[in-house]
Amino acid sequence: MNNIAYLVPLFPLLGFLINGLFRKSLSKGTIGIIGCGTILLSFIVSLILFFDVKANGGVVVNYFNFIDVASFQIPFAFQIDQLSVIFLLIITGIGFLIHLYSTSYMHDESSEHFGRYFAYLNLFVFSMLLLIMGANYVIMFIGWEGVGLCSYLLIGYWFKNINYTNAAKKAFVMNRIGDLGFLLAVFWLLSKLGTANYVDVFEQASTGLSSTDVTAITLLLFVGAMGKSAQIPLYTWLPDAMAGPTPVSALIHAATMVTAGIYMIARSNVLYSLSPLTQDVVAVIGLATAILSATIALFQNDIKKVLAYSTVSQLGFMFLALGVGAYTTGVFHVMTHAFFKALMFLGAGSVIHAMGGEQDITKMGGLVKKLPITAWTFVIGVLAISGFPFTSGFVSKDEILLAVLAHSPVLFWFAVFAAILTAAYMFRLMMLVFFGGFRGTHEQEHHLHESPSAMTIPLIILGVLSLIGGFVQLPHVFGGEDFFNQFLAPIVPAVTHEGAEAATLEYYLLGGTIVILVIVYVVTKKLFAVDRFDGVYTGFKKVLADKWYIDELYNAVIVNPLDKLAGFLKNVVEKSGIDGIVNGVGKFVNYASRQLRLLQSGQVGNYILFMVLSIAVLFLVFWNQEIIVQFLQKIF
Amino acid sequence: MNAIILSAAFGVVMMLCSFLIKNKSNFRHIASVALLILLIGNIADTYGYTFFAIDTHGMLQFNRFGLLFNSIAIGSTLLYVLLTGKEIENAGMHVAEYFTLILFVLCGVTLLSAYNNLLTLFLGIEIMSIPLYILTGSDKRNMKSNEAALKYFLMGSFSTGLMLMGIALTYGGTGTFSLEVVRNAPNMYKGLVSFLEILGLLFLLVSMAFKVSAAPFHFWTPDVYDGAPSVFTSFMATIVKAAGFIAFIKLCAVRMAETESVVDWKMIYAIIIVATLLVGNITAVFQQSVKRMLAYSSIAQAGFMLFTLISLNDMAYEGILLYSAAYSLATIGIFAVLVKMKDYTFDGYNGLAKTQPVLAATNTVFLLSLSGIPLTAGFFAKYYMLAAVVKTGNYTWLVITGVLFAAVSVYYYFRVIQAMYFKEGNAETTTIVPSFKYGLIALAAIIILLGIFPTLLLRWLYF
Amino acid sequence: MTLLNMFLDTAAANSAANYLPIGIQIFFAIGFVATMLVLSNFMGPKRKTSDKLETFASGIETHGDARQPMAIKYFLVAILFVLFDVEVIFFYPYAVNFKELGWAGFGEIVLFVAFFLAGFVYIIKKGALNWED
Repeated sequence: MNNIAYLVPLFPLLGFLINGLFRKSLSKGTIGIIGCGTILLSFIVSLILFFDVKANGGVVVNYFNFIDVASFQIPFAFQIDQLSVIFLLIITGIGFLIHLYSTSYMHDESSEHFGRYFAYLNLFVFSMLLLIMGANYVIMFIGWEGVGLCSYLLIGYWFKNINYTNAAKKAFVMNRIGDLGFLLAVFWLLSKLGTANYVDVFEQASTGLSSTDVTAITLLLFVGAMGKSAQIPLYTWLPDAMAGPTPVSALIHAATMVTAGIYMIARSNVLYSLSPLTQDVVAVIGLATAILSATIALFQNDIKKVLAYSTVSQLGFMFLALGVGAYTTGVFHVMTHAFFKALMFLGAGSVIHAMGGEQDITKMGGLVKKLPITAWTFVIGVLAISGFPFTSGFVSKDEILLAVLAHSPVLFWFAVFAAILTAAYMFRLMMLVFFGGFRGTHEQEHHLHESPSAMTIPLIILGVLSLIGGFVQLPHVFGGEDFFNQFLAPIVPAVTHEGAEAATLEYYLLGGTIVILVIVYVVTKKLFAVDRFDGVYTGFKKVLADKWYIDELYNAVIVNPLDKLAGFLKNVVEKSGIDGIVNGVGKFVNYASRQLRLLQSGQVGNYILFMVLSIAVLFLVFWNQEIIVQFLQKIF
Repeated sequence: MNAIILSAAFGVVMMLCSFLIKNKSNFRHIASVALLILLIGNIADTYGYTFFAIDTHGMLQFNRFGLLFNSIAIGSTLLYVLLTGKEIENAGMHVAEYFTLILFVLCGVTLLSAYNNLLTLFLGIEIMSIPLYILTGSDKRNMKSNEAALKYFLMGSFSTGLMLMGIALTYGGTGTFSLEVVRNAPNMYKGLVSFLEILGLLFLLVSMAFKVSAAPFHFWTPDVYDGAPSVFTSFMATIVKAAGFIAFIKLCAVRMAETESVVDWKMIYAIIIVATLLVGNITAVFQQSVKRMLAYSSIAQAGFMLFTLISLNDMAYEGILLYSAAYSLATIGIFAVLVKMKDYTFDGYNGLAKTQPVLAATNTVFLLSLSGIPLTAGFFAKYYMLAAVVKTGNYTWLVITGVLFAAVSVYYYFRVIQAMYFKEGNAETTTIVPSFKYGLIALAAIIILLGIFPTLLLRWLYF
Repeated sequence: MTLLNMFLDTAAANSAANYLPIGIQIFFAIGFVATMLVLSNFMGPKRKTSDKLETFASGIETHGDARQPMAIKYFLVAILFVLFDVEVIFFYPYAVNFKELGWAGFGEIVLFVAFFLAGFVYIIKKGALNWED
């Protein structure tokens, strides 16, 4: 069955080519069908692969040698195993729902731009699949760059707005910083082990790499993950990335691309387990990101910004899980997070659609009456992310907290704090948007309507998944089967919480969660009581609303000095120094060319004379070679 | 063996066709079919199916390397005929003869890839060169063409004389024409090699350097390439030149390498390489005519191919094959576009991107390949060449020089791209048929494909 | 490694002294001829007439310029003659070794003749030997 693996990325690639090349001639309907159909086909193939892997285990499928230089080879190979099929299902499954949703959401675009949008989206899915399926770090890097490119293209999709293109550039540059780390790590690996294949690397890691090597490689890889998965200090691009169309935010900047870093670390778990130092760094950075962005999310007024910071925060949770060695839990949270965050983004898209492009939550309110499906599915999402018992978010977050507790109680209490903040900003968002009275203009109120079925069906499906998605890994105490961890066990060492102690803890957490949620709900309701809300903040709230002034800090510390330096280099060093040298060389070559040209006189006699003279010179070289050799050696 | 016999036989058939068949446009198709059969025959040879069992008493020796080169040469010629066959028809009155001569040239090429004896080397060189003298002068009414043919012939004779002198001297020194020599005691210089042999080898080296237009024996190249009808320049500058290299390399790998302890041949190669790179690249900069620029660029490219002589390791052999293919294909493509242009100067290309976007785009690919930009075959070709030298551990300064001159080459190649895309103008071409465009696109696709997977070609070397 | 050394080494093997008689002989031979030519130029009688400066054409009076254009056909026929003449020379070694070479040699010579004939047919059909056109 594994011989069909190549079909998974092939379909989106075809979709990209067709939509990209013929976007001017195809109708919107056809573009939509091609865009969604290819992803659906990929999803079906992924399902087949999933059941195959479940029955027969993972394999590496070799296609051809991508780079083949003497003894050094990088095969173009796919690794189809438990870890990658899970991601395949998430990407193609949720990808399909979001494509479907997009056909309706983007319907106002002209046919050509509609085609461009779907071409980009398909290209993104293709790159993401490459990233996941590649059997070595080089193939992963191709996908890694590909998704970065698509992210850039889609953030700047409305390229006529200069702010949007700036946001796209910011995302790209931040990602490049991370990519540099990734590349260095791969080079390091290649120079030490001579291979980038996962199988070989993990086999030789404990023998072929010193502890310094492992720490450096894992740290560099983590720098790559910081960029792609928006962790401190490279997280600021993600909120700005909300400039792209909302389905893009859902797919790329919430459900899939940003989890590439998690995938990469989970994939490299063998390496990470060899380096406790890196693990601690990952855990601390993850936790710090989780708390920092959660505090920022508390006072944002843009519906997508809140969700964006929430994504950053949840990614922090995932890294926390990875950092404490609970790799399966991290992956599991990727999955559940993909469900409910995609759900909420799509819900937000539906709201924005209904509000005629308005994103400011201070101008919303009471939408539950006009958009019931959107509202109630959104509520499910909020409950899931806040960890309401037995929703998917509860199960995954629960497991993270347990893993952290087993690792370090201090981190545990910080994590709990972050989780409480999560519930707080989510409840705030939910109440401001869907409950209370409407605060927008009259016109907007008149215009309010539930979205068409192409948008609500994905919402409903994702809502159901957010509710029940956690049951694949329900804790033992509640009758769970530990299915998810067992499935991943051949690739990633599973974390198990067995025994009476774990059971008691589960009950504590269950009780604690309910109590906390109720308290948070009451407090939030009081703090953000809709009638007293004006959207203007003062004091510490303003600091949070202005995102801790991190962007300003980066500007002052990094961007401005660099600008100054660049200005100096441009105006002084380049103009008078480098340009002078370069132009001088150019002028010299031109001059030499004019002079050498004269040798070509057109007279055969001259030519032959030159040839004979040259032969004579060669004789001279015979004669006194040593002297010339010494002369040349002195020069070079 | 297949290719030698078949090319000669097809040449004769083609020659007889010249009066048996009246319709001019049929010749092109016959030649294409003949070349295709030739290619298949040669591939069959590669897989061990030899149709003609002839004992050459060790005068010819067939190996993977030579046979693969034959395939490249014949394949390139096939593409060349398919792409520019129409222009060959228009070059003069004797259409069938032109194809005949091309087939005879191929016969010489196939001999050169297999020679194991100085006599067969001489035969191959002459069989390859004499038809070229005629092709150069095929545009009878054009004084430039006549002048070029005469110059080519005179200087070619000069180099032939040198070669014969060299062969005679080596014979005097070793007592045999065979490439592999058992050296006997008398006449030895310092008990190693005969002085006569060294002198003879030097003459051979000079005459081979002449054939591949290495400086300072390159003087014929610009005049001949410029004067000859463009279609034939395309053929001369690519397949023929590459064949010269294959012969040159074999000579150096056997005879020069054996006498390495007496003479520092590599220093001589190094001097020739630097001179070639210098003259080719620097002079190309100031040319006004694209055709003449290409003539100098072919000298510059020869400089790069000469790197093989320094390294002479496995990578170099892979590299020269890749280089032959990359350089031949790209140059054939550029000339195919060139012959369609009404004006051969750089200004004649102004604004080609607007009037003929496909031509401009494919031409850009070819030019990028020649300048060695990644993702084109030319990049890997240059990479292999330089890396092979680096591998030997010496001559780092030569590699640096090579890279510097490659940078210079970017200048004049990009002038064409600049003219096509960034200059205002109305580039005029003769009529372009769609099939010609598809041909160019296919050629560009091959170049890009080889630029991504060079192993597609090189794996034929080992299977 | 130097060329000069090679020459010196060669010279050492055949010492110059051995060649001295030959050297003297060459010197005298050239000297004698040169002396005679110079002396006869000065001492011999001279008759300066216009007839003596005329081109010698076996006693027939010359007329016109020798460098007038000639029909290319002469050259063509001449070169073809040389070509085929040279090819015929290759029959000699075959004729000498006729018996030893046997049927294989016969096959090869037939092939040679066939090629040869193909060329001959070609020049006839192309009209290279047509005198009038």
